[in-house]
Amino acid sequence: MAEIPDKFDAIVIGAGPAGSASAYYLATKGFKVLVLERGRSPGSKNVFGGRVYVAPLKEIFPDFEKSAPIHRWVTRERMSFMHGNELVSLDYEGNDHKSFTTYLSQLAAWMALKAESAGASIVSDITVTGLLKEGDKVIGIKAGNESVKADVVIDAEGVNRLVLESTGLVQALKPSQVALGVKEVVKVNPEVLANEFGLGEGEGMAWSLMGDVTSGLPGGGFIYTNKDSVSIGLVMLLDSAISGANDEVYKYVERLKTHPKLSKYFKDSRIMEYSAHLIPEDVSSLMPPRLAYDGLLISGDAAGFLLNLGYTYRGVDFAAYSGYLAGKAIEQAHGLGGMSAANLLVYTKLLDQSFIMKNLKRFSGTHKLMRNRRLFTAYPAMMASLMRHIYSLDYESQKMFNTVLGSAKENGMGPFTLLTDGIEVMRYL
Amino acid sequence: MMGLNIVLLFKYVPNTNTVNVDPNTGTLVREGVPSVVNPHDLDAAEFALELREKYGGKITAMIMAPPNATKGIEFLLGMGVDDGVLITDRAYGGADTLATSYVLAAGIKTLEHYDLIITGQETLDSSTAHIGAQLASWLKIPYVYYVTEASLDNGALVVNRQLESCTEKYKVKLPALITVLMHSHPPRPITLENKLRAVIKKPVMMLTNNELKLNIQCTGLRGSPTVVAKTEFVSKIPRKKEIIKDKSPQEAAAWLISKLKDEGFLN
Repeated sequence: MAEIPDKFDAIVIGAGPAGSASAYYLATKGFKVLVLERGRSPGSKNVFGGRVYVAPLKEIFPDFEKSAPIHRWVTRERMSFMHGNELVSLDYEGNDHKSFTTYLSQLAAWMALKAESAGASIVSDITVTGLLKEGDKVIGIKAGNESVKADVVIDAEGVNRLVLESTGLVQALKPSQVALGVKEVVKVNPEVLANEFGLGEGEGMAWSLMGDVTSGLPGGGFIYTNKDSVSIGLVMLLDSAISGANDEVYKYVERLKTHPKLSKYFKDSRIMEYSAHLIPEDVSSLMPPRLAYDGLLISGDAAGFLLNLGYTYRGVDFAAYSGYLAGKAIEQAHGLGGMSAANLLVYTKLLDQSFIMKNLKRFSGTHKLMRNRRLFTAYPAMMASLMRHIYSLDYESQKMFNTVLGSAKENGMGPFTLLTDGIEVMRYL
Repeated sequence: MMGLNIVLLFKYVPNTNTVNVDPNTGTLVREGVPSVVNPHDLDAAEFALELREKYGGKITAMIMAPPNATKGIEFLLGMGVDDGVLITDRAYGGADTLATSYVLAAGIKTLEHYDLIITGQETLDSSTAHIGAQLASWLKIPYVYYVTEASLDNGALVVNRQLESCTEKYKVKLPALITVLMHSHPPRPITLENKLRAVIKKPVMMLTNNELKLNIQCTGLRGSPTVVAKTEFVSKIPRKKEIIKDKSPQEAAAWLISKLKDEGFLN
């Protein structure tokens, strides 16, 4: 029987995508790793929309496509603007395997199992309550009145940063920094996926919705097709949801499901799961002042690594890849002689060179766009009236340019507003 | 006496809070339903741990179940149980209580020594409470149900058995089997130290029919005389809600009585 070590090489807080990626990498390199998970099992506390981009995961797990729980490859992207009973959609069909749908509970469980098979110890049902410190140096974790020591701790605790808050490294979350995601997974008849969604075997759809989805509140909706179910939900900026929502949030999802143009996709569906989660939104303000300290690295949602572009969300791949880089950084710091802040600084460098920071910097202003209410109200309405003018006619056809301006005017926007909003969108997206 | 060697029997059951019934077949829809240690067995685990604290010794958790029940053993190890035995074999599947207790008896006989078998009052998913009595009968040892307290007295066990209107006191010879009254011993939380030991030392032994060498005509579905004659789906009673507002107590009572009459609950 193996002995319980007095001290681990690394302790990972949280067995989500970030934590398990770290644990997997370090375990394969021979580090003695302990992962502590608050939920009953890895993945039980994770929530996402429904789609994951595959490239980063393939880099972390070489056999990813062969054995990961992939439900459907996204072969069809749809973006819809909703206004009343009208729906304006843009469809893109490709067939390259860039992203897939799954249940995050399954994916996270798979990743944890990979880490465990590589030699990491994963302990569920244990909540880490704080960091064990010696001066400024982190030397382990605390769980209630128990503690475990390690050379380095990776904080991958997720968006609810109770450990980092208790240590004073970050402030408590403010509603303006996060969005609220609510989601239902519903079982649907296989014929619905084939006939209504038009999907073949293994093909999937990612569908983003803007406009009347959130009753004019900044946010949007999403629909993803899984193997034999559909995920549907919405994301709202938390502060505006608090001040502006006049119903329980689950009712917004129900309303979406029963929308006259969407209800056919959810005919005879049965709710399998309801979940809600906070989502990092204002990333630059959420990011801890540093990501590497003496004996401590921060990754995943806890570091604020999430990209919301309105038409797509990326969190799982960012989290996993940041965890993977944390593992690499620890390996390098080990080579340099220890887990000092100076040696661990390589983590920041690796992040800066990666798609994570490049993307986050490139889209650093996107959350400001979310504050432009016209994007959620007037523009979807304008799109709808534009299409109505073009297509819904009895005798006379309209000239396109006049129709655009006319539709804008109908929705209270003159040419100047169109121009400045256009520039803003170009700038941030 | 040098401590008590305790066998803690448990069942790993679907969390019935989340189970639905298929209205067509009348069977449980278990797909995607997480399993948990039968809550009444957690009382038994707590009871066993308290006895070990008092008298020393060792607690072995034992279950006959598919391999995923290892998670259940890990949970009990997290509470402080010493080790576990998972009895698993395809030939044991589909067993009723008789075939189950037959296999468990064989499993217990492989242990070097045991003083006391402790289990919960009944299971969450079937509530037969058969296993304790059947197992004790296979092993030819005394058993007492609904136990709330136990102590050693000159190598015998003195137990309190809680009935609806009274408490009975028994003195039984060891080895013996007791089932612990449900809700009598709220389980302690699991600890990191115990969990670590469980995950790293993995003190779980697996027994299959290769080891137990039982006649498979007596195990699993084939060894189960129980026949489910029929299951009936009792459909949900639709609940109605009306809120009485702005009425005096007298008016409200009159309103309620007339409502109950309308619904046929009162004449």
